[in-house]
Amino acid sequence: MADEDTMTGEHGAVTVEENVAPIPLLEEIRERGRVWEELCEEYGVDNPDPPWKINLEGTYIALDLCRAFPWLERRNAEDVVTEARYADLPAPERQVMALAHSMIQRGLVSERDLQRKMKELEERLNRV
Amino acid sequence: MAEKHKPAPMVDEVSDFEILEMAVRELAIEKGLFSAEDHRIWTEYVHSLSPAPAARLVAKAWLDPEFKKLAVTDGIKASLEVGVDWINDPPTGFGTPSDYCHLRVLEDTPKLKHVVVCTLCSCYPRPILGQSPEWYRTPNYRRRLVRWPREVLAEFGLVLPDDVEIRVADSNQKTRYMVLPVRPEGTEGWTEDQLAEIVTRDCMIGVAVPKPGVTTNIPKPVHPALRPVQHDH
Repeated sequence: MADEDTMTGEHGAVTVEENVAPIPLLEEIRERGRVWEELCEEYGVDNPDPPWKINLEGTYIALDLCRAFPWLERRNAEDVVTEARYADLPAPERQVMALAHSMIQRGLVSERDLQRKMKELEERLNRV
Repeated sequence: MAEKHKPAPMVDEVSDFEILEMAVRELAIEKGLFSAEDHRIWTEYVHSLSPAPAARLVAKAWLDPEFKKLAVTDGIKASLEVGVDWINDPPTGFGTPSDYCHLRVLEDTPKLKHVVVCTLCSCYPRPILGQSPEWYRTPNYRRRLVRWPREVLAEFGLVLPDDVEIRVADSNQKTRYMVLPVRPEGTEGWTEDQLAEIVTRDCMIGVAVPKPGVTTNIPKPVHPALRPVQHDH
C-alpha cells in the first residue's frame, strides 16, 4: 500500500555486519541436539511448539526493552545468521541458536559463560 | 467410582535447545541485561495473546454495519469492543515495545483482496492476532509476497481470478494491519460465535478466505531464501 502509514518510520537504517563464523559450542549443539519434532514423535506428543518457545519470546521483548539487543537489530541478525548457519534446523530451535550466536558475537554473553551455564543447568535439570 | 486415568503423553527429556534457551535467559539476568521479573511479566503477556479477539472483531463487523465502519476507521477503538486495549493491556501501559498503537483493518471486497506482510522484519498485530506463524517471519515469504503476490497466495491454496486486485500491506513499527475478509456465502443466519470460528489467523493475514466448515490454518512448509540477506536499506 502506498500511503504514509506504510513508511519505514522509526525502524531507520540498520547496517550491522553480522559475523556468521561458526561458534564451536553452538556447532556441537546443532550436531547432537534433538529438535522438538523428533522428541514429539518419540514420546507421542502432538504439541506443535516446545513449551520453552514462549520463554524465548519473553527474552526477545526483555532484550528489546532494556535496549541490550533492540528488536529490529535482533530480527535482522536472526535472518542473516539463520540463513548462513542454522537453516537446516526447524523453528524455534534455529531461533534460539541465532539468538545465542548473535549475543556471543556482540559480547552480551561469552561462549565460555554459556558453556558453563549450560553444564550447570543440565546438572540441575537432571538431578532427579 | 473413579475411572482409570491415563496421563497424557509428555516429552520426558530435556533437549540441548531447551537448555540453551534457559542458559541465554539466566545469563542475561545474571549480567543485569533485564530482570527475572521483567521476563516473567512479558512472557505471561505474550502467552495471553491469541487470534481469538481478531476473529471476534471480524464476526462482529460482518453482523453490525456500524461496528464495521468503526473497525475500518479506528481499529484501536474497535479493538476495545473485543477486549483488546492496545495501550493499557501491555505491561508497559503505553503499548508494547515492538507493537505500537496503530491498527488498520483492511476491508476486502469481492474485487479487492488485501494481504499483510512485514518486508523489514516480522511486525505483526500481536495484541489482537497473537504470535505470527513461522512462515510469516521468513525472508522467503517477505521478499516474494511483495513481488509476486498472486503466485504466493496460490501457494497457500488461494487462487484469485485475474479481475481481483491484490493489495499488499507492508507492516512497520508504527502501523499494524489485519484483514477483514468478505463474509462467505452459506453463513446466513449464523451467530457471532459461529462466524468467529471460521475466521482463522490466515484469513486475517490475508492468505486464506473464510469458508464454512474450515476452522483451522493449513500447515505451511517453510522455505529458505537462497540469496543472502542484505539489510542495506
